[in-house]
Amino acid sequence: MAKFSKWLCSQLRLIGATARKEFIIFTRYPANAVLSLIEPLMWLTPLYFMGKAFSVGGHAVGFEGFTGTSDYFSFVMVGAFMSSYIAVAFWGMAYSIEEDMILGVLEPNWVTPANRVSILLGRSIMFALLTTVQSLGVLLIGALLFNVKVSGDIFVALLIIVPMLIAIFGLGLGLAGIVLAIRRAQTAIDMSNWVFSQISGMQFPVTVLPKPLMAVALTLPATYGYDAVRSVLLGTNPLLPMKQEIMILVTSAIVMCIVGRAVFYTFDRRCRRLGTIGGH
Amino acid sequence: MNNVRAFWATAKRELLIRCRYPDWFVAMLLWPILMPTFTVFATQALAGPDNSGGEVFAELAGTSDYIGFVFIGIVMWSWLNTVLWQVGATLRTEQRRGTLESNWVTPASRLAIMFGSGLTNMISSLITVAVSLIFCKLMWHIDLTFSPLLGLVFLLSTAAIYGLGLIFASLVLLVRELNSAVNFVRGMFMVFCGITYPISVMPHWMQTVAKGLPLTYSIRLIREIGLAGAGYRDVSDAFWILFAFAVSLLAGGYMLFILMDRIAARKGILGQY
Repeated sequence: MAKFSKWLCSQLRLIGATARKEFIIFTRYPANAVLSLIEPLMWLTPLYFMGKAFSVGGHAVGFEGFTGTSDYFSFVMVGAFMSSYIAVAFWGMAYSIEEDMILGVLEPNWVTPANRVSILLGRSIMFALLTTVQSLGVLLIGALLFNVKVSGDIFVALLIIVPMLIAIFGLGLGLAGIVLAIRRAQTAIDMSNWVFSQISGMQFPVTVLPKPLMAVALTLPATYGYDAVRSVLLGTNPLLPMKQEIMILVTSAIVMCIVGRAVFYTFDRRCRRLGTIGGH
Repeated sequence: MNNVRAFWATAKRELLIRCRYPDWFVAMLLWPILMPTFTVFATQALAGPDNSGGEVFAELAGTSDYIGFVFIGIVMWSWLNTVLWQVGATLRTEQRRGTLESNWVTPASRLAIMFGSGLTNMISSLITVAVSLIFCKLMWHIDLTFSPLLGLVFLLSTAAIYGLGLIFASLVLLVRELNSAVNFVRGMFMVFCGITYPISVMPHWMQTVAKGLPLTYSIRLIREIGLAGAGYRDVSDAFWILFAFAVSLLAGGYMLFILMDRIAARKGILGQY
């Protein structure tokens, strides 16, 4: 027991140190912080007007037939809020490997006795915290400018997000292993992050997708996360009963963490064997 | 003749560099399909299972073909995005590679070097547009009427956006980092130019801003000529406005380039980044 608590303390110190390092880097680029608030709004504003072009008196009458809500932009804002966490897995976890390779610090960090998964976790926890602040800012601005209304139980919605986040972190860990092996992954990450968010239903209900794409969407845990959170906050019609969606999310969280860890260590061992960690 | 050789040599060099990174090629083929497609899914959701939303859209936009409407807008915006990034970042890329100063001190024409890089960019952006249009035809059965007038509008739009790209490329010589500015401009175009909606849904002040942007006219003309089959007489006002934008932006870009080049040479900042 004492051995375990000592190990846990050292891991927490490591996670804290990595998170602190990320925060210091973030504060060195204040322009990026401002841009991180403006840029999502630039992407979201066209969706507001697009929704308006299909609406009568602010009600998206056609959209209501698919989802049960006529408030298209609130639907999109909740989707965008949750998509920002998917970006944490793809950019904060997976791409951070390539970034360290470019900066030339991957090998020096990797040869320390520090746990590699904890290093990645520290980064992604800081990314997730910064993303939360940024997304809340965007939601607040959205509420002021575009009359976004979220009326449901926010606490229940947050509880639903937790297993989705853990599942996504598991996915990020697996992807980090793949990036370690293929080394140049920026384009693949950019594209897969975007497709993952879209196909999970960031800006539309997955029921409008053609059947093959819908089948893909239904295998992704994020689809159920988006659906359940929207159902709680906006009163949309859920794909499945809420209990089933939560069960799927919890199971995905466990499975994806185990699979993600296994994939990461498989590629990590391979890279050590081939001696490719220093190259990029 | 020497300028033509410099132009071809730069174009060939850029092409070789691109061929070394095949992931870029994958992105060039997939983005023009993915981006408009997922936006079309969103419009289908907005139209609703009974097309009641589609009817509202038809009243506002003057066309019931909301898929074609959105597709044209997204394709044009993606193309603008590619050109703006690639042309605008030409000199910045050279700065980062450390080759700007060494190329600039040769007797080769600087504009020939710039346009040589531009040729490769032009080819890649045209492939992007072509992939989008072919996919649009196959997947959504949208009939775009090709005519000489449509080609001319596309040419004028290209000139306007290249002029804008040249302005960004020139400013790089002085301020060195322009990523944020390019992001801001492409965001402006995305919000104001009516890419996925008719500009009449925006507040009045936003419509006024939209009228000051060349892409608003490009998209409007391509939609009217390509989708609705309009002729020159129906669109002559927008056509000449786009023409004025093309000429002034190209001339402005050229003059700014000459000016910035002189300032950079006088201050000796070509080697810095």
